[in-house]
Amino acid sequence: MDRKATLKREDGLWMLRRMRLIRQTSERIARLYPTNVMETPVHLCIGQEAVSVGLCRHLRDADKMFLGHRTHGPALAKGLPLPKLMAELYGRTTGCSHAFGGSMHLIDLEHGLPGSSAIIGGSIALGCGAALAAQLGKNDYVGVSYFGDAATNAGVFYESMNFAALRKLPVLFLCEDNGYSNVMPKSAHSAHDIVSVARQFMTTLQADGTDVLSVYEHTGEAVAQLRRGEGPVFLHCATKRWMKHQGHEACDIVDNGIDRERDCPIRKLEAFLLKSRLITPAELAQIEQAVEAEIDAAIQFAESSPFPDPSLLEVS
Amino acid sequence: MPWSRFDSNYEAPAGARDITYCAAIREAIDQAMCLDPRVFCIGLDADDKFGVFGSMSNLTHPERVLGTPISENAMTGVALGAALSGMRPIHVHLRNDFLLVAMDQIANYVAKWQDMFDHQVKVPLVIRSIIGRGWGCGAQHSQSLHGLFAQIPGLKVVMPSSPYDVKGLMLSAVKDDSPVLFLEHRWLYKNTGNVPEAMYTLPIGKAATLRRGGSLTVVATSLAAIHALKACEQQELDVDLIDPRTIKPLDLDTILASVHRTGRLLVVDYDFPFAGFASEVVAAVCERAHESLRQPPQRLCFPDRGMPSSGRLERAYYPTPERIGELMRQMILGSSIDADSFVN
Repeated sequence: MDRKATLKREDGLWMLRRMRLIRQTSERIARLYPTNVMETPVHLCIGQEAVSVGLCRHLRDADKMFLGHRTHGPALAKGLPLPKLMAELYGRTTGCSHAFGGSMHLIDLEHGLPGSSAIIGGSIALGCGAALAAQLGKNDYVGVSYFGDAATNAGVFYESMNFAALRKLPVLFLCEDNGYSNVMPKSAHSAHDIVSVARQFMTTLQADGTDVLSVYEHTGEAVAQLRRGEGPVFLHCATKRWMKHQGHEACDIVDNGIDRERDCPIRKLEAFLLKSRLITPAELAQIEQAVEAEIDAAIQFAESSPFPDPSLLEVS
Repeated sequence: MPWSRFDSNYEAPAGARDITYCAAIREAIDQAMCLDPRVFCIGLDADDKFGVFGSMSNLTHPERVLGTPISENAMTGVALGAALSGMRPIHVHLRNDFLLVAMDQIANYVAKWQDMFDHQVKVPLVIRSIIGRGWGCGAQHSQSLHGLFAQIPGLKVVMPSSPYDVKGLMLSAVKDDSPVLFLEHRWLYKNTGNVPEAMYTLPIGKAATLRRGGSLTVVATSLAAIHALKACEQQELDVDLIDPRTIKPLDLDTILASVHRTGRLLVVDYDFPFAGFASEVVAAVCERAHESLRQPPQRLCFPDRGMPSSGRLERAYYPTPERIGELMRQMILGSSIDADSFVN
């Protein structure tokens, strides 16, 4: 596809802003995390921003997306306001889950995030349930099950694909394949080829998960099929996890194949937008600064918000 | 009829019909589905010709009855996802034991979803499950496990014993905005009782007193309540028989008020004994009404081992009305007999 001819400036800018929001927020969290202001396990997605952002450019607020434990990126991409995320990480009542969820349990009903789960795999079924509700209620929203490569080892993955295919559910299986289950490489955790397995059940598409325009293009095709009522789609996005599974430190797995210059989804998009004359260098700098200011404000909001009162734990 | 035994507060109005426990469930589900298009049924064999032992036969809206593959875990997640998206699913299981296959979804997802997000979401999900027993069904087709489920915060556990209760509580369960585990004993299905045709709900968390007496408080649910009632009638015992109807939330007030009067407590619980429902009732009564107890409370449960298969062993394994009656008589007479002697 000739990207230059088809990409609108507003789409390009939207995706750049969201990716920068996720990246810079993650980097800020990584800097603050050692100070223990956030008492919650964080699973950062630096390097993986293209997947959720390319996807969410095609989703509406009404579309319901269920997440696993690596929540921040997809939640921000879908529309969760940053102050609500930061306040949740800071354990404050103004957090999206009112201080009961933490990093791994984010919710934003207004933006189609009915919750996320810290048990790998299970939320795949919930996306299918949302799609079933859409189908039974003759609604035009779609369900999205957002999971990683390691979740394809869980039985619930197969059960969900089978049911979705049998009932032609409008659900997108979005596999954000970062190649690792914690520190276990895919070669050690999956004897199967993920896409080949999924192809037994439904239409499969593959995107470059380090290139937001690739994800954007393929998601467009996938979501169009869902909205036409032609059954579920599996979209595989191969990407790279720059960080450790959990925490603020960089991935230290030897020979992880990560080249931060080559693999950076933000650099790729910026280069494309500049080359296509859809943006100026001044605008790039402006976006980066605006995002920093947004993060400052969100942290200030979190820090100035109240902690929850232990009386909230009383059971009636 | 043994079923004309309703607590005066919750008596069926005059002129109601006698129908079976099974028909009462079917009627409740059918009426719920007709009333509210968001209600749908889903489950393994939910849509086959057997209609879940007849409890879902010939429903008015078959298009909202979905059969599923043998994928209990994912299907529970599907039901949860639908509930979070505004539907009111009834997920049905032919055997209670199958719930264990879905334990990740039930315990980690369904039960926790409201607490994890400070109750910003409703989870109007009913998980129906049928408890089996007998004819050599054995260790994997005969379990009740209500104590295990009641231990998990976020689940209501309901197990009615009569046709009247099962209809009213099923409608309450479907109406509820939080997850309800609804356990039906297969041996109750053919029992008949007085059931109004109109829709009605019964409060979740309110016990029924099946028989008034002053010498012994007996707490028993589901089939055990019916067996205890039969034992009282056979042996004409002065027993205050309480059917909590819901394991959780538990109507402790009714139990405590009774123990204060009788000074004696027996819990008949058709479940495993260790850290179970009977243990919970005994512990709660000891904590709150110790001064009223005239003798140690007793539990009559299954032996702490899996169910056997041979009919000869089954008859020794399961408590019967006769054994319950004998234990009640011993307690009223003041003898401290060990409940285990009836099952070992």
